[in-house]
Amino acid sequence: MEDILQDSSVKVADSLVVGGGIAGLEAALNLANTGQQVVVVEKDLSVGGRMIHLSKVFPTLDCSACITTPKVSEAARHPHINIITNCELKQISSDENSYWHVRLQINPRYVNESLCTGCQDCEEACPVVVRDEYQYNLVGRKAAFIPFSIASPRVAAIDIDNCILCGACEKACGPGAIDFSQEPVQTEWVVKSIIIATGFKLFDSDKIIRYGSGKFKNVLTAMQMERQLVPTRPFNTVLRPGDGKIPEKIAYVLCTGSRDESVGNPICSQICCMYSIKQAQLLLGALPMVDVTVYYLHIRAFGKGFDEFYQQAKMMDVNFIKGKVGRIRELENGDLVVRYEDIASGQVMEATYDLVVLSVGILPNMDVEKIAGLETLELDPFKFLNQRHEMTNPFKTNLPGIFMAGTASGPMDIPDSILSAGAVSALVNKYNKQLLETTVNSLEITSWND
Amino acid sequence: MSGKTIDIIKQKIKVPDALRQRHKEYLALRKRIREALADGEATIPEIAAKSGVPADQVVFILMTMRKYNEVVAGEMNDDREYYYYKLKADE
Repeated sequence: MEDILQDSSVKVADSLVVGGGIAGLEAALNLANTGQQVVVVEKDLSVGGRMIHLSKVFPTLDCSACITTPKVSEAARHPHINIITNCELKQISSDENSYWHVRLQINPRYVNESLCTGCQDCEEACPVVVRDEYQYNLVGRKAAFIPFSIASPRVAAIDIDNCILCGACEKACGPGAIDFSQEPVQTEWVVKSIIIATGFKLFDSDKIIRYGSGKFKNVLTAMQMERQLVPTRPFNTVLRPGDGKIPEKIAYVLCTGSRDESVGNPICSQICCMYSIKQAQLLLGALPMVDVTVYYLHIRAFGKGFDEFYQQAKMMDVNFIKGKVGRIRELENGDLVVRYEDIASGQVMEATYDLVVLSVGILPNMDVEKIAGLETLELDPFKFLNQRHEMTNPFKTNLPGIFMAGTASGPMDIPDSILSAGAVSALVNKYNKQLLETTVNSLEITSWND
Repeated sequence: MSGKTIDIIKQKIKVPDALRQRHKEYLALRKRIREALADGEATIPEIAAKSGVPADQVVFILMTMRKYNEVVAGEMNDDREYYYYKLKADE
């Protein structure tokens, strides 16, 4: 260890947090506020995770970005936190002292972060338009771009896979921040502990062919509708992507890709009922004449204030139909016919809508499996991180010094993600201090297995 | 890094033909939409009919143009089903 500390090419921190979403940042802030040195690695160009892209949170309807951005800002400015974006974990291994050695690769964004002012002159000059993944493909973005308006860091990047190498961005950049000479940079860190907060993936609704996702232009995913409801929305109002019509009848199909053995995801995603009810309420605010119908198997309103939120949606005339949607077909004018089994009457029925929103479930982030050198990290039967002591210590993995926070361990909502991050940071704080004080063997016996 | 770093990367990678082709197609579609708006404001179905560009592609390109300040949205049509859009220069 002494050798490592004297090696200037190796950087040292107390903890490494993998993932800069709300759980990762919350854990990092808690640890940093106790004096621990934390490095946060994020594979995306910005921290903030999924939450920074949401409109409002349920059931309070508080502005999601207004909760996320102060934490992002605090973490970015914290003297004990080092945030590295656009970064991959290449290798993780432990030494005889139970310290973790982590090799990171920072990929080039072809923009010098210290020179970029976020002015977007490069974006204006860039002639190339590709689908904007941060707006869930509803509009385009340039190949030279700021990921989104509240990105952190607010620094441009060049999407080199879609760049035509015209050099317009470099000419337009006043401060001279564009730098096509950048190469991937590898660094090595030594840390006492690692928190995996890699979040979740959304179910790919194109896999359910009978719903027409990816084929019918007016079948959206819930995240696409979410983006239509945020202040920085792609259409500046709610419209059908197929023809720009203002929708008057909208249907939600719950449990798309969750509680469904046929698509390989038998478990409940825990958030789809409530985010759909939230969106239904927000739609009624955005489009006063709209009719919203929610097709559901069961409404799972289990959290504090959730059932009241559900009842409130009913009082606002959101129509709830208990029934399984079998198929969706498209009419010539872009309208969509939903064929469903109405549980109340036992009949197969059809109804026509302007727009259908698929409330997609959440899946494990399989990128965890790709973390080099961590083949021994245990996953549960659903491919989330395995909680060995689910009832007594749900935040430990099977590997000493590696913890989990947020949805890396399974579906949960935002408050539970933040709660888990708080709990894990307390555990990690204790673990880091113990590692300094105890020998490897005693640590494993007295701390990890209790 | 000073100077034209674009020349450095040009020596390392080549632009795929498919990417060049997609870029050309996008510019051609955008031109047709701009021409459809040259006479004044129009709804998306009207732009699609005038330009021959499929309505879903009009939505994508027009909303990208709106994002980059080339197009502005106006009032709703009489049926309150569609918004009118016009080129920024027409304001």
